[in-house]
Amino acid sequence: MENKEVILSVKNLRQHFPIDGGGLFKKTIGYIRAVDGISFDVYKGETVGIVGESGCGKSTTVRSIAQLYKPTTGQVIFHGVDLCTADKDTLLKERRNIQMIFQDPYASLDPRMTVRNIILEPLRIYNKRNLLDKNYTEEELDEKVKDLMEKVGINKAFVNRYPHEFSGGQRQRIGIARALALNPEIILADEPVSALDVSIQAQILNLISDIQKEMGVTFIFIAHDLGVIQHISHRVIVMYLGKIMEISSSDELYSNPLHPYTQALLSAAPIPDPKLERTRQRIVLEGDVPSPDKERHCCYFYDRCSKRMDKCACAVPPMFDCGNNHHVACFLYDDKPVAEPADDTPTEGELKLRKKTENKAEN
Amino acid sequence: MALFRKKEIATNEFNQVIVGTSLTKEAWKRLKKNKLAVVGGVIVIIYTLIALCASLLPIYPYDEAITVHRNLRPSLTKTAGDLMLEQEMKNLFFQAWRQGRLELSDEEDAQIEAWVMESKTNQVWDLVYARGMEALEAGSFEWNSSEQSRIDRMLNNIETETQITIDKVSVVYEGKTMNIEDMSYEELRGLYASLLGVDENTLEESLVNEVRSAVSNELRSKDSTLSGEDLDSSVEMEMDALGEDGIHDRASTNIIGYIEQIAQRSANSDIQAMIDSGSMTFPYEGTFDLSNGLHVELEVTKMHERRYIFGTDYLGRDLLSRIIYGSQVSIAVGIVGTVTSIFIGILVGSLAGYLGGKVDYYLMRFVDIMYGLPYMLLVIICMAIFGRQIVNLFFALALVSWLTIARMVRGQIMSLKNQEYVEAARSMGAGTMHIIFKHMIPNSLSIIIVYSTIRIPAFIMQESFLSFLGLGVQAPYASWGSLIGDAVSSMALYPYKLIIPSIVMVIFLFSMNFLGDGLRDAFDPQTKNQL
Repeated sequence: MENKEVILSVKNLRQHFPIDGGGLFKKTIGYIRAVDGISFDVYKGETVGIVGESGCGKSTTVRSIAQLYKPTTGQVIFHGVDLCTADKDTLLKERRNIQMIFQDPYASLDPRMTVRNIILEPLRIYNKRNLLDKNYTEEELDEKVKDLMEKVGINKAFVNRYPHEFSGGQRQRIGIARALALNPEIILADEPVSALDVSIQAQILNLISDIQKEMGVTFIFIAHDLGVIQHISHRVIVMYLGKIMEISSSDELYSNPLHPYTQALLSAAPIPDPKLERTRQRIVLEGDVPSPDKERHCCYFYDRCSKRMDKCACAVPPMFDCGNNHHVACFLYDDKPVAEPADDTPTEGELKLRKKTENKAEN
Repeated sequence: MALFRKKEIATNEFNQVIVGTSLTKEAWKRLKKNKLAVVGGVIVIIYTLIALCASLLPIYPYDEAITVHRNLRPSLTKTAGDLMLEQEMKNLFFQAWRQGRLELSDEEDAQIEAWVMESKTNQVWDLVYARGMEALEAGSFEWNSSEQSRIDRMLNNIETETQITIDKVSVVYEGKTMNIEDMSYEELRGLYASLLGVDENTLEESLVNEVRSAVSNELRSKDSTLSGEDLDSSVEMEMDALGEDGIHDRASTNIIGYIEQIAQRSANSDIQAMIDSGSMTFPYEGTFDLSNGLHVELEVTKMHERRYIFGTDYLGRDLLSRIIYGSQVSIAVGIVGTVTSIFIGILVGSLAGYLGGKVDYYLMRFVDIMYGLPYMLLVIICMAIFGRQIVNLFFALALVSWLTIARMVRGQIMSLKNQEYVEAARSMGAGTMHIIFKHMIPNSLSIIIVYSTIRIPAFIMQESFLSFLGLGVQAPYASWGSLIGDAVSSMALYPYKLIIPSIVMVIFLFSMNFLGDGLRDAFDPQTKNQL
């Protein structure tokens, strides 16, 4: 992995959503910290898996990377361009190389379009603005649709059909064909298999790895099924409450989880062997995931951690490099070198809000 | 581009053509199964076709008033002449009963007295007519001489009176045969001057004066307080506004009318001669070459042989043709109003729904304010300010009716905005307009269609309400509402004038509602059988 080329680099990305108070003027009374300062690199040609329980900010992360939401702070550097501050035209040009696959194959295809139009939509948009390598005619586009359909394994005869005439797995294939239409370098897959049943999941996963082998596409792959992540990804990011807890290569993480949260998470996954399954020791976490609407200056996992120390309540743990490209945000490993310092400087909106409450308190 | 390109046919490995079934196609299938909606749709189509083809249908002109045919009852079998005679005889019998010459039983006398007290005129007339005819046949009653002569005169009129309709007047002018309606003002003036034998300049002056007095009359009818110098100055202003061309246009129309009158008068003697000699068969269509160089194509019909299956109104106009021409106005108001309100509604609603935030907030507060204003009052004020023309009626109705659509579209768009396929489109770089027009509007079109079929009857009702109040269309135009409004004053005496337009309107509104319900069930099968 050392000599691999970094294709996408996320630096201290935050995505805060304002909470509107009631009343006539809809004052902002707080922020939901969906993603709260994460940094990671993605290397060319690999698959990065993101795991974590519901509401930990996995989907928000990929949506921020795709610029579907404007990130509050931070940088998403792709081809040397910061997408967060890029102007519209550059963004459009770069975005061509970042495509998405969505979770729900029933909702992600427009029910009033034929398969042809769905797959061609990105091509038409870019063709119209002359952003492709050449200007495609309708006939060439038709050829392209047929290629793509063949590639993802749908019968070419179905080009004039509508999404509701397909099964979930077939629809997800159409979604993948659409994402491939522009020959992107990165595909952000937002839980592409969690809405499918298990046999279909396997087919889609195999399709994705085939595509990766064939076209060399980089994937950022979200799932909350640990087995799926283990199967498909080279490196895994574990997220909790909008923060990265642990980054490591897949094999390393599954054999040697360091962070208490990762350990708990892995212990919750059933083992597909009845004998081993009976001996499996579960680490049961206390309490629920806390609400992400508070500012935190401690370890984000502090409330529920079984190994918490006094130190954990005082500062946000930085990323410690435990060797072998294994980074953990936990003070248990504070003897290791710091790979990346923690950054908990408040955002502009938060400062404003803080000032307001202070003023109120003074009055 | 892609829209107009013929779809490529896709075949599978067995060479079978694979065609997709769109949601619209499925909805159409479901709609076809709903019999009530299909019947409703067919009725709506028939109404629309009749309204569109009104000028091609063999009906009498809707604004042709024949005074002697006032208030004739609807009849399938009897001609206008028969009905006129019947009406006259009813009157005469009644007078005879009053004078005691027509003798009825005591019970019937008491009954008639009671009816007279309750002003149930129709029953009285029917009874005396029935009894009178019996008596006449039995020989126990005879008309007196003046009555007999009235009846004879009427019979004679029915036999002989003709209606002359001029189709075309043409003249040989500078070697060419020209239709006078195609002639320029100067040519018309020259022709008219030569027909009258007067100087062109004096004619010009009198024509302009005529236009001026017409303008003055119009102004006075609009504002009865205008008089003296105010009137003169506003007439001059109006004349200036018309300009020379405008004045000439109006004068041309006048001249054409005069020439047609002259032609008819000159042709009259020829026609009369033909009738007297018995060489004319009715209806007669022919061309007359007149001594003054005019050629007139005209149609001669026996006036009292007309049949009014829906009766006539208080000016002697055919109710059937008024209903048909009225449906033109009513259906047009329904469709135009709905279309304009849908356009504005979609525009405002989709912008508010998609952009959200401040835009949404201010647009929706504006809509809320408009909602708060009394709707009908706004329309009435609009009509009062801008004048009572059909165009203004469309405008006024559309102005305030887009609100509900805007809200509905906004709601729909807001729910669609978070659909994953919209996010997918955004992730592939689609602009706002692309998303609104390619994804949002096609997906909310079904409820828009359903809603508009439900809106059309509402618009027709509103137009009828305004016309009923006298704020809608103005004479000689008619609409269903104005027909009903006109009929209300003579409801007791001529109930058919009220009932027939009402039934016509109710049938249309019912069909439209059934169609709308059917469409809703077809487009959105889940809401079926739900309240």
